[in-house]
Amino acid sequence: MDAIGLWIGAFLTLGIISFLYKDNPWYKLSEAIFVGVSAGYWFITLFWDSIYSKFYIGITDKGDYYLIVGAILGFLMLLRLVPKIGWISRWPLSFIVGAISGFYLINYFSSNVMRQVANTVMPLFSTEYGQSLFTAPIGTIVANIIVAGGTFTGLVYFFFSKEHKGAFGVTARIGIWVIMITFGATFGYTVMSRMSLLIGRMDFIFGDWLGLIK
Amino acid sequence: MNQIIKRRVITRLSSIVIIKILFLSLPVVAEQLIPTIDDSVEAFIPAPPAEVIATDAVYDQGGAVHLEWQLSPDDDGSAGVYNYQICRQQEGTDEYIPIDSVLAGVSSYIDETVEPGRSYQYIVAVNGDCGSAPSEASNVVTPNIEWLNFGLSNLFVIGLIICGSVIYFIAHAKRGKKLFIRRIAGLEAVDEAIGRATEMGRPILFVPGILDMDDVQTIAALTILGRVSRVVADYDTKISVPVSRSLVMTAARETLKASYMAAGRPDAYSDDMASYITDEQFGYVAAVDGKMVREKPATCFLLGAFFAESLILAETGNSIGAIQIAGTARPAQLPFFVAACDFTLIGEELFAASAYLSGEPKQMGSLKGQDVGKGIAMIIILLGVIATTFGNAWNISLLRRIADFLRTLFEVG
Amino acid sequence: MKKEFLVYLGILVLAIIFYFVITEPVTFSPAVSLIIIALIALILIFIFIRTIQGSFVGRRTVFTFVAISVVLPFFMTIEQAIRTSPEVQALYAAVEELKPGAKVLVSFDYDPPSAPELQPMAETFFNLCLERDLNVIIMGLWPQGPQQAELAMQKILDEPEIAAKNLEYGVDYVNLGFQVGNEFVIQRMGDNIASMFQTDYYGTPYDSLPLVRNVRNLSNIDFSFNLSAGYPGTVEWVQVAVDRYGVNLGAGNTAVQAPQMYPYLRAGQLKGLLGGLNGAAEFEKIAGRIGKGTKFMVSQSFSHVIVIAFIIIGNAAYFLGEKRRKQKAAE
Repeated sequence: MDAIGLWIGAFLTLGIISFLYKDNPWYKLSEAIFVGVSAGYWFITLFWDSIYSKFYIGITDKGDYYLIVGAILGFLMLLRLVPKIGWISRWPLSFIVGAISGFYLINYFSSNVMRQVANTVMPLFSTEYGQSLFTAPIGTIVANIIVAGGTFTGLVYFFFSKEHKGAFGVTARIGIWVIMITFGATFGYTVMSRMSLLIGRMDFIFGDWLGLIK
Repeated sequence: MNQIIKRRVITRLSSIVIIKILFLSLPVVAEQLIPTIDDSVEAFIPAPPAEVIATDAVYDQGGAVHLEWQLSPDDDGSAGVYNYQICRQQEGTDEYIPIDSVLAGVSSYIDETVEPGRSYQYIVAVNGDCGSAPSEASNVVTPNIEWLNFGLSNLFVIGLIICGSVIYFIAHAKRGKKLFIRRIAGLEAVDEAIGRATEMGRPILFVPGILDMDDVQTIAALTILGRVSRVVADYDTKISVPVSRSLVMTAARETLKASYMAAGRPDAYSDDMASYITDEQFGYVAAVDGKMVREKPATCFLLGAFFAESLILAETGNSIGAIQIAGTARPAQLPFFVAACDFTLIGEELFAASAYLSGEPKQMGSLKGQDVGKGIAMIIILLGVIATTFGNAWNISLLRRIADFLRTLFEVG
Repeated sequence: MKKEFLVYLGILVLAIIFYFVITEPVTFSPAVSLIIIALIALILIFIFIRTIQGSFVGRRTVFTFVAISVVLPFFMTIEQAIRTSPEVQALYAAVEELKPGAKVLVSFDYDPPSAPELQPMAETFFNLCLERDLNVIIMGLWPQGPQQAELAMQKILDEPEIAAKNLEYGVDYVNLGFQVGNEFVIQRMGDNIASMFQTDYYGTPYDSLPLVRNVRNLSNIDFSFNLSAGYPGTVEWVQVAVDRYGVNLGAGNTAVQAPQMYPYLRAGQLKGLLGGLNGAAEFEKIAGRIGKGTKFMVSQSFSHVIVIAFIIIGNAAYFLGEKRRKQKAAE
């Protein structure tokens, strides 16, 4: 049984990789299987996790009748399929948009704005907040200057109420340089990530399937 | 084995608790009684923990009590002490019931099984090799419901300032006052790119991201589409807008129609300009890629929310030699656009471009309001870094105090 | 069409030959490995010279080189020195500080496509926890996460030192399974974990699992570790579990999103971070357990060298192309 699984896995892996040579039926078949299987998996998982264990069990076993409100909203979403009364689906949508915006506003504001600003208020030449001068090694000092300077200049770049001229313009230019360097690092990390995925697949083909790797 | 020890400890402990209650006024007697329970000859019974203090957890729904105590003097990391048993007496009852235990070395506990409005009292007992020793009873605590969390008042005030300025600027823009927004580099390229497509007699491809109308990036993309299609209608260039969501298709068609009407050429508009492909991410990408390769558009706009498909689309566009203008607020995808496209609207520039082109009060006001927030952050960072760096350097307490104040202003929780 | 078909048939025949003829694992001696590396370097130099002369290589050549650089190191007997970075050391220190019996919540927020990067991290983390007698509570915000957790856990339980401990499901470790609802699941867990996980992965009711019976909410969790490949993931755990409920959180991320986590690391919202395969290898080194992370690192480094080589070649081609275009324009 395992061997059949391995062969199917290898057949599909090679099919997807064959796209690098050219688009072809083998690739298309593999992709279609992938899309179909993942859609089916999602459907089954969500059905058993949401509709069965949360909604059905919640109501029958636990008596959580408030779940009916959610079920009604969910049903209203499906009315999109009926063009004449499709507009009703906007109600649950507005509920979702409203609730999620409120939730996100607090999350992002406190985690990504407040805490980050508080932590950027830091002495440039010390390791920790409140320490005396030049207690940090040179590497930390450089890092501190880059973090504080990068945050400040980046904010200047994204400030839209003032033309980028003079000293403000120079600061904004430094800001965009910092942003571009960050993009470079992200790109590098992405290359690393994609290579890891390829390594994982190759390990599967040459190790698990062909058994050539010790 | 462990089970047996545990059971023994629990039995012993409950006897201690009962004795303790019986002789509450005579704790000395209770402790003297312990050796008689234990029949080993050289019994090591750790000294009891002291000063058990119970406090109501602040800013909660009255469902938690914080408990703190001083460790037993014998709890010094040696093997003789193994845990602390926490016992609770509820108002109206006369017995202490064990509720939980914590490992040796731990001197605090949060009891989250309390009910608001009721009073509780606690005893913490240390369990050692051959016996247990209970502490004195704690103070009486009554957990309360707090309706407002004043620990987050700074979040509230700063949020209020920023949201307030957004509302103020929207109202300001609605009254017809002009709001200034700086020049955005990528925008100037838009007209040029459309002009190029016209000259070459090739179509323009506009991809508004792969998310639905509830994503603000899609809305910004469609606002920009409004402006692009207006110019396109003037020049009589072909435009194609493949989308991956049905609602986006409807919205894109309405946008295109409005632009062609405004340009005075309603006859040139057709519903085929915006077409729905599929919701499936990579299915959509494959179709758009095919479209690019076959129709060879002279200009590609990739604006909106993108995920892993960003590089695939930008790469294909690049390989057919199209001028590409991209923009997204998803930081992980920006590097690919920057590398493979001619102009990129980075993050908020996408929204700024949309606001700039539409002049719509809501968008303009939001952008200006956010600028207020950014301004505050810039000032706090600049002043704070200077104050703490120099305050530390020359030990100036005033500067240090300023830095502390600025930091606490933004510290949450 | 015929030609392509022949190519694919060729690949299949080759695979079958490998499968049935070579039954033993293949390893190259150090000398052979060095000769191969030298050969690849020579070909790269040749390509560089040809590029300067004006004949560019196609993308398929690049793909071939990347494939070679990934596959050949599997057979080479070369080891790579791995240096651990502060963020990996910080994660290890945070786990090391925990006392036996401490409860560690591990959230598996990824699916098989990201397994090459995250699975080695999961295995090492489980090994570290079980070795130190920490109690592991597994969950997932991605539907396939708990399944990945099962694979990793089974592998670790089969290792001799861990197997000797005779660990018991439900007492020493437990898998609560997947729950739909993204960050709202974390939010609810802050108040009541059982309300989100009424049963575990196998359908056992929450209250009948000795390990979690007394775990009411996130405040009963001593340390939390999140393996993340996107949304929902580390960002959501930081925003809700850390910032609202004060959980101590460490994270393992795919390399794609790792750079975005550094601000959280710096602000102390994350106790430690493993980024990509590199992070997995470093974690294996510091934990003293050689796994796939370390094994894959040689391939990773090789492929990076090839990518850098082609970036140089590509830039040479680009600038030379520009120069020629300008010359043409001048004529």
